[in-house]
Amino acid sequence: MAKTLDASPDQLQKITHGQETRVAARKKRLRAVKRWGWRIAGYVFFLLLWDVASGTLMSDRLLVPPAGVAREIGEIFQSGDLWMHLSSTLQKIGIGFTLAFFLGTTIGLLTQSRWWEAFFKDWVTSTMTTPGLVYALVVGVIFGFSPIGPIVAIVFASFSYVTVNVAEGIRALPKDLIDMSKAFRVSPGSRLRNVIFPHLAPYLFTGVRYGFSIAWKVTVLTEVFASNKGIGFIMRVEFQLFSMAGLLAWISIFFILMLFLEKGILQFIEQRFFRWRQEVKLA
Amino acid sequence: MADIRVEHLHKEFGTGVEKVVALDDVNLDVSGHVFVSVVGPSGCGKSTLLNVLTGIENPTRGKVEITHEGRDAFPGYVFQSPRLLPWRSVMDNLIFVHKDRSKETRERCRRYLGMVGLEDRGSKYPGELSGGMQQRVGIARAFSTEPDVLFMDEPFSHLDAITARSLRRELHDMWKATKKTVLFVTHDVGEAVELSNRIVVFAKGGTIKDDITVDLPFPRDPADQDVAIAKADVLRKFEELDLIAT
Ligand SMILES: Nc1ncnc2c1ncn2[C@@H]1O[C@H](COP(=O)(O)OP(=O)(O)O)[C@@H](O)[C@H]1O
Ligand SMILES: [Mg+2]
Repeated sequence: MAKTLDASPDQLQKITHGQETRVAARKKRLRAVKRWGWRIAGYVFFLLLWDVASGTLMSDRLLVPPAGVAREIGEIFQSGDLWMHLSSTLQKIGIGFTLAFFLGTTIGLLTQSRWWEAFFKDWVTSTMTTPGLVYALVVGVIFGFSPIGPIVAIVFASFSYVTVNVAEGIRALPKDLIDMSKAFRVSPGSRLRNVIFPHLAPYLFTGVRYGFSIAWKVTVLTEVFASNKGIGFIMRVEFQLFSMAGLLAWISIFFILMLFLEKGILQFIEQRFFRWRQEVKLA
Repeated sequence: MADIRVEHLHKEFGTGVEKVVALDDVNLDVSGHVFVSVVGPSGCGKSTLLNVLTGIENPTRGKVEITHEGRDAFPGYVFQSPRLLPWRSVMDNLIFVHKDRSKETRERCRRYLGMVGLEDRGSKYPGELSGGMQQRVGIARAFSTEPDVLFMDEPFSHLDAITARSLRRELHDMWKATKKTVLFVTHDVGEAVELSNRIVVFAKGGTIKDDITVDLPFPRDPADQDVAIAKADVLRKFEELDLIAT
C-alpha cells in the first residue's frame, strides 16, 4: 500500500492498468475452463443417452450402442479402408473448394461494377438456394463415377458463399484508412498487405467457413449417388448391407473429422489472424 | 520547408442537382518556414483543401503544386480522427507510413511516440487506447516521417484542454526547430493566433475571404495581453466579414 502511495500518478496508472489486465486474463481463463467442462458434460450426456436407448427404446441391432460403434471404428482403422475413402473425399473437397474459392473471389470482385452485378446476381442467389441434393443428382447423371462430378458439385454449391462475403467486404472498404495511406505515399503493395487484406480477412473467413461446410455436405451426398470411393460411397455400401454398426461408425468418423477441421484448423488460423481483436476485447 | 501554390482551384462533388461546390476559385501561396492557419465555419471546404493538397482528391479545375527544393514535397497529414490501422500495433502503425523499415526508422518512431507521451504503448493495439491517445499516435505518425510540409486538420479539437495545450507547445517547438511549412486547420481562433504567422479565412461556399498576418513574437502565451488583443481583433474581423452568408 505504501508503495502505491509513493508512486507518481503516472506510475499509479501503470500499476492499476497491469492489475486490471491480470484480473481480466484470469477471468477469461476461468470462463474457458468452465466452457470446456460444459462441453464435456454434453458429450457424456448424449453418449449415455445413446447407450441407454440402445436395447431399451430400440433393438441394439438397429441402434448399436457406443461401445459397438467404437469397436467397428477400430476395425475400420485397421483395415486400411479408412485412409483410402478419407483421402478420396478430402482430395475432391480440396480441389473443389480451392476452385470455388478463386471463382467466388473473382466474381465477388467483379460484382463491384453494377453491370457485372446485374450479370451475376440471380445466378449467385439461385446457386445458393438450390439444395445440395439437386447438384448431387445432376452431376451423378452427367459425370457418372468420375471424380469430376463431386468437384463440379462443390464449385456450384459453395462459390456463392465466398462471392457474397467478398462483395460485402469490398463494399465496406475503409476509405478513411486508404486515403490516409495515399496521403503518406504508401505503395499500393503495402496498402494491399496492411490495409485491404486485413480488412477483408474476416469476410473471407466467413465465406470459407460457410462455403466449406456446404462443400462437405455436397461431396458426401454426391458420393452416395455416384462414386466408387469416398465417405459417402462407403456409407451407401453399409446402408445396402443393413450394417448399422458400420453406418454409425462412418458417421462418427465424419463427425470427428469435421470437428477437427473446424475447431482445430479453422479456429486456430482465425485466432492467430485476429489476435488484435482478442487483445482489444480484453482491454 | 516547402512551397505550396494553389491557382484557381475548384472542387465539386457529385453532379446535377446533387452537386456540391466545396472549393470555389481558391488561390493561395505559402512559402518557406511559415505556420499558416486555415479557419472558417464548418462545411466551407477546409478539409477538402487539405485532401486536394495531399493528393487524396483530384481538383475539378485549377492547379495545386507542392514542391521542396524543386521536387515533389513529402507531406505529413494529421487527420481530424486518428485513422489508425486497428489490426496493427501502435508502433507498426507508425512504421507503416515509412518506406524504409530500418533500425533508424524504428528508433525515430519510438522517439516521436515518446514526444506524445506514449513510448510505453508501442506494442498495444489502437483499440486498447483511449480516443485522445489514439489521436496522439496519429500526430506522432505524421511527425515521425519528418515531412517537408505538415497538414493538420483540427488535430486537437477532440483532446482535453491540458493535453491539447502541451501538444500545441510541442508543435510550435518542432515547427521552430525543423523549419517546416505547416498548414493547420482549426475552428479555434485562439489556437490560430497562438501558433501562426498567417491566418487564411474561408467562408461558406469554399472561397477565401481574408488573409491576416499575425505579427507577434513567439512563443505566445494565450494569457498575454498582446495575444488576447490580437485574438479579439481577428474575431471582430470575422463578424464584419459575415462568413456564413452565401
Ligand atoms: N467525399 C465527398 N463527397 C461529397 N461531398 C463532400 C465530400 N467531401 C466533402 N464534401 C462536401 O464538401 C463541403 C466541404 O466539406 P469539408 O471540406 O469537409 O468542410 P470543412 O472541413 O470545412 O468542414 C461540404 O458541403 C461537404 O458536404
Ligand atoms: Mg473538416
